[in-house]
Amino acid sequence: MIRMEQVSKRLGGRVVLDGVELKIEPGETFFIVGTSGAGKSVMLKHMIRLLTPDSGRVWIGEDCISEARGRRLEQIRARFGVLFQSGALLAWLSAGDNVGLPLRQRTNDSDADIDRLAAAKLALVGLADAFDKLPAELSGGMRKRVGLARAIITQPEIVLYDEPTSGLDPVTARTIDALIDSLRQSLGITSVVVTHDLHSALAIGTRIAMLDGGQIVAVGTPAEFVRSTNAKVQQFLEAQFITKHGNWEKAVAT
Amino acid sequence: MYAPGVNYFGSRTIITREPEYFAPPVNTYARLGRAVLLLLRNTGRALRMLGEAVANVHYMLSRQNRADLRQQMFVGGIKSLGVITVVALFTGMILALQTGLELRRFGQEVNIGTAVTVVLLREMGPFMTGLIIAASVGSAIAAQMGTMVISEEIAALEIMSINPVRFLVMPRLVALTLMMPFLTIYTDAVGIFGGAIVGSTQLNVSFTAYFDNCTRFAENKDLYVGLFKAMVFGVIIVTVACHQGFGAAEGAVGVGRATRRTVIISFLIILMMGYFITRLFYK
Repeated sequence: MIRMEQVSKRLGGRVVLDGVELKIEPGETFFIVGTSGAGKSVMLKHMIRLLTPDSGRVWIGEDCISEARGRRLEQIRARFGVLFQSGALLAWLSAGDNVGLPLRQRTNDSDADIDRLAAAKLALVGLADAFDKLPAELSGGMRKRVGLARAIITQPEIVLYDEPTSGLDPVTARTIDALIDSLRQSLGITSVVVTHDLHSALAIGTRIAMLDGGQIVAVGTPAEFVRSTNAKVQQFLEAQFITKHGNWEKAVAT
Repeated sequence: MYAPGVNYFGSRTIITREPEYFAPPVNTYARLGRAVLLLLRNTGRALRMLGEAVANVHYMLSRQNRADLRQQMFVGGIKSLGVITVVALFTGMILALQTGLELRRFGQEVNIGTAVTVVLLREMGPFMTGLIIAASVGSAIAAQMGTMVISEEIAALEIMSINPVRFLVMPRLVALTLMMPFLTIYTDAVGIFGGAIVGSTQLNVSFTAYFDNCTRFAENKDLYVGLFKAMVFGVIIVTVACHQGFGAAEGAVGVGRATRRTVIISFLIILMMGYFITRLFYK
């Protein structure tokens, strides 16, 4: 579904991505973890062509998004939904209008149909009563859920999540996890999640990749990831009180 | 059906750009050369954005844009009336007082109506309106666009295949280009009335004599050229504000910088363009 071939990127003279190779299969919930500044968000932005690689290519199915332009780029991007870290909601539109925005701007569907669909998506993320509220009237977690409703209203094949649980309390964070997982199970959506939150990754991820020094140093299923012998991975796990000898499944479940 | 590639009205102007990094210039010439190149490049980008906004003007009454157009006309027009009233009234009063005091030395103070009207219609009306709108509406547009860039709202629009130029720039361009001439007529009217107050209370020129004098020497051309200037100033303000806002980087500091630049650049271009339009029509 998503393939990165030898992707390298320098920003401000610093190598952020250094020959990254990655393949994400359809229907996966793929987590990218790493320390701050490791290049996780940069990697995500390459997948949607908000950044262009200095060298290498990014493929979405059979389409090379890193070289697409104009109409072709729009067609490829239409396969994506993106949940930004802040939600990226338009401040002057209500939650319902934010969710319906892509349909209202790009289709000829009636306002009533769009409102009905937006309300359904808001209900799906547990915000049925927030339709008329402005983003300023919503909490951080609610804004992210509205952003998620907007990301999926166009029925994308792939949803990218940039730090979906950062800044949220553990209960709300687990709610977001459950939503991401339910999207995979009910709609078969391929998800790529950038996060620091290993509890989320281990709970709902099908595979986890660790980015360090511009390269992927470990990739595998949650079980393989926890048992990785890579020092950076172990350091990252221990920092979140998860050890390969410990009962991490229980820790995650709680 | 959501299929952007089929119903393509994508942006030729890329708003979300990769961050730029420049090595420190090696000497003064390098610094100057870079400044000139950046000026040319940014001017080109701003004009390209303006061209794309103009190319999208036919969508202004579409379902997607008409609500925002109405809102922008309200913000750019009605909400600016308060400050314009005060500025225009006192501008007219100052003009009447200064010219009246000089003309009184020759016993010609009855002609202040002509002086105030011609100056307001030709220059001061559009100029003052342009400055007020640049400082109030232009800075607000730059701050809004800048904040949207910083909070990734513009990137979100582009990923949703919503053209930011059509969605954000075009309605503001149309709204301000349409509202500026009306605001200028209002400025002219209030300013002329301010002159009449001064004439009546301090220069012993009756309202009747003042307004009779106003209409006697002013020509239709003065009004039309002034209104044309106002429309051009509207275009300048929106173009500069949106371009500066879209170029904001580095968080709140960047938004502040974009706002400040918008006001300064708009002032300078309005001033220069005002001269060239005058030169074009009054040879």
